[in-house]
Amino acid sequence: MFNRVIAIIRKETRELLRDPVYLGLAFVVPMVLMLLFGYGLSMDVKHLPIAFVDHDRSTFSRDYIDGFVNSEYFDFIGVLENNAQAEKGIKSGHTRVIIDIPPDFGRQLSSNHPVAVGVTIDGSFATRAEVIRAYVIAIHALFNERLLSDFLMRRGTAQGPMMPVQMDMTVWYNPSLESINFIVPGMLVLILMLYPALLGALLVVREKEAGTIFNFYASPVFRWEILLGKAFPYIVVAFLDYLMIYAMSIWLFNVRFIGDFWVLSSAALLYSICSIGIGLLISVLTKTQLAAMLITFLSTMTPAFNYSGFITPVSSMDATGQFIAHLIPATYFMDIVRGTYLKGLGFDYFWPSLLALGIYTMVLYGLSWLFLKKRIG
Amino acid sequence: MWQRLFSMVRKEFTQLFRDWPILFILVWAFSGAIYVAGHAVKMDVSDYPVVLYDLSKDDASRELASHIRAPYFKIVGYAQSDAEVVEYLDRGKASLAIIIPPDFQRQVAVNLGRFQVISDGTISRGSILATSYVARITAEYNLELLEQRLGSVTKAMSQVPQVDARIRIRYNPNVNNAWFSSMLEMLNLITMVSMLLSASAMVREKVYGTLEQMMVTPLRPMELFIAKIIPTVVVVPLFSTLALFGIVQGVFDTPIRGSLLLFYCVMAVYVFSVSSLGLLVAVFARNIAQAAMILFLIMFPMLFLSGAMTPPESMAPWMKYTSLLSPMRYFIDFGYQVLFKGNGIQYVWHDIVGIFVLGTVMFSLSVWRFRKVIR
Repeated sequence: MFNRVIAIIRKETRELLRDPVYLGLAFVVPMVLMLLFGYGLSMDVKHLPIAFVDHDRSTFSRDYIDGFVNSEYFDFIGVLENNAQAEKGIKSGHTRVIIDIPPDFGRQLSSNHPVAVGVTIDGSFATRAEVIRAYVIAIHALFNERLLSDFLMRRGTAQGPMMPVQMDMTVWYNPSLESINFIVPGMLVLILMLYPALLGALLVVREKEAGTIFNFYASPVFRWEILLGKAFPYIVVAFLDYLMIYAMSIWLFNVRFIGDFWVLSSAALLYSICSIGIGLLISVLTKTQLAAMLITFLSTMTPAFNYSGFITPVSSMDATGQFIAHLIPATYFMDIVRGTYLKGLGFDYFWPSLLALGIYTMVLYGLSWLFLKKRIG
Repeated sequence: MWQRLFSMVRKEFTQLFRDWPILFILVWAFSGAIYVAGHAVKMDVSDYPVVLYDLSKDDASRELASHIRAPYFKIVGYAQSDAEVVEYLDRGKASLAIIIPPDFQRQVAVNLGRFQVISDGTISRGSILATSYVARITAEYNLELLEQRLGSVTKAMSQVPQVDARIRIRYNPNVNNAWFSSMLEMLNLITMVSMLLSASAMVREKVYGTLEQMMVTPLRPMELFIAKIIPTVVVVPLFSTLALFGIVQGVFDTPIRGSLLLFYCVMAVYVFSVSSLGLLVAVFARNIAQAAMILFLIMFPMLFLSGAMTPPESMAPWMKYTSLLSPMRYFIDFGYQVLFKGNGIQYVWHDIVGIFVLGTVMFSLSVWRFRKVIR
């Protein structure tokens, strides 16, 4: 009985090896993606073009503007003449932030009165707008703190610390807050989801389209033997992809890794089997390769990117969001990947996630087995 | 020529419309998938999970804790020990821990109040934003305390030099991410589907060997290519209409401010443009699996050079220049400017030129390569 499985494995392996372009791409594509994302995708939003409409032109307003000019987050475009120019800058996207300083800015501050400035942010890209807002708030807080301490000093009430409350901040798991530590492990999860699923998705449907599936129909092999035999070589490919990405993350990108390699690897193996399984199920259910490809893209890419906790923690999602998050395997693997890479957690933390992945995988292969008909019509 | 083209286009349409699973998938893609993407997250930091460990439990600590609230934060639990705090962070149940030491109120009274914030840095961007919000909350709390000390609040307010930032976010005042991400998903899908449809229409002929049949007909390569693209150029804008009015505007209430005529005209050119790219891939690929891999290799860089993940101004120079080769970069810019900002042609003409030029180049390139291959 294992003879038959081995025969199918040999057949699939030979087929894979005979298409060196395809096999090569199976390794080149993830590598290129990792290089691109590792080197290119800095999620840091910096160099944002900022401009001012300064109706005051006092030392106060210049001082205030300096706070932004000296920040690495903003690129100073200039002081604009009028609001029409500002409007045009925002509309065309040449500036992302416009700060409108009122004529009495310096006068109000020097006479100890609060004053309001108008900050206009280009909201066309929501995340960018959110980051800009946070930067503006932070720079304002600094400026205000200085104003306040000067003020208290002048009044002579200040002795010792000015502020009643201070915040002590510590960052855990990624103390330098480097985005590479956040992107690269996250990409490992995404690539190992999309890519093996795509490999698996073409496995059965290709034979259906070419008509060679009838060879299986006519042969004595069992359905589970077909599935296992077809999946096996690709699971090996997916796992090798994992090893490659892991090696790149450590030696090329110097991502912090404090966990146990064996824990991560065994989880990665299970996850590879799982994502090949998603592909297989799609492959069994569809009739054309195009349909299989489209469904794979749609069912893996968007959900894994948005719901796995890659960018926002799962616990901040609403009930529907958390529900979707727990429906996709990427969430569980993300948990394990971040936990091993950055948190250094051990097996005892991961068994619920591993268990969930295991059950998920069994369901996928079970369904594939159920829907793979060895009959026509 | 027109007759040949016409019959070929008819054949392509018949083939496409007979493939009802594909049509069904496309309906889902341009409705359900966009809904899923738009629903995902409101902001990077909204309902950010916080665990609170309050060792004082006095008025000052309660007052501070009451500032940690929606929309930015959500307190997911109250820890009773250090170990519990660690547990919350390790398991990822909370991404921020706030620890208020004992005797907080008395310390605050003598300006020595300190509290500890532990931020989970795994998602560095969220972590940076969240801590900046805590810093702002602390500053506000300080100001309130000072005002209380300096006398009546309203009176004191007018006597402290402070700059109040009246932040207005144009086009999306509440930073509703669904507006952004649903539209982005739509623009992404237009790109992906156009490439996949045209590439597979071509590779299919290769795999079945029907390409040779077509080559012995009087059909010219140029005509064959145009005929392969036309169904995509018709179908994709139709599906986008479903997405745009059904989901982007219908479900998420995204305001559509610009000229739809302009958007549809340029979209048609864009679909033609990326379909040519799909055909180019199809000319090189020997089977659908290869085509899928190559498309994957092209699509991802295009997605991430599109300016939607990293804004163009924040890109490294090499990326900025490479992105000029991707038609998607122009289309994303064009799409948001026209649909979302309501800009007219005077703001987006360079995008249109970019899409047009790249489309022409890719179309000519694929026809040229194809001629070489079939000879």
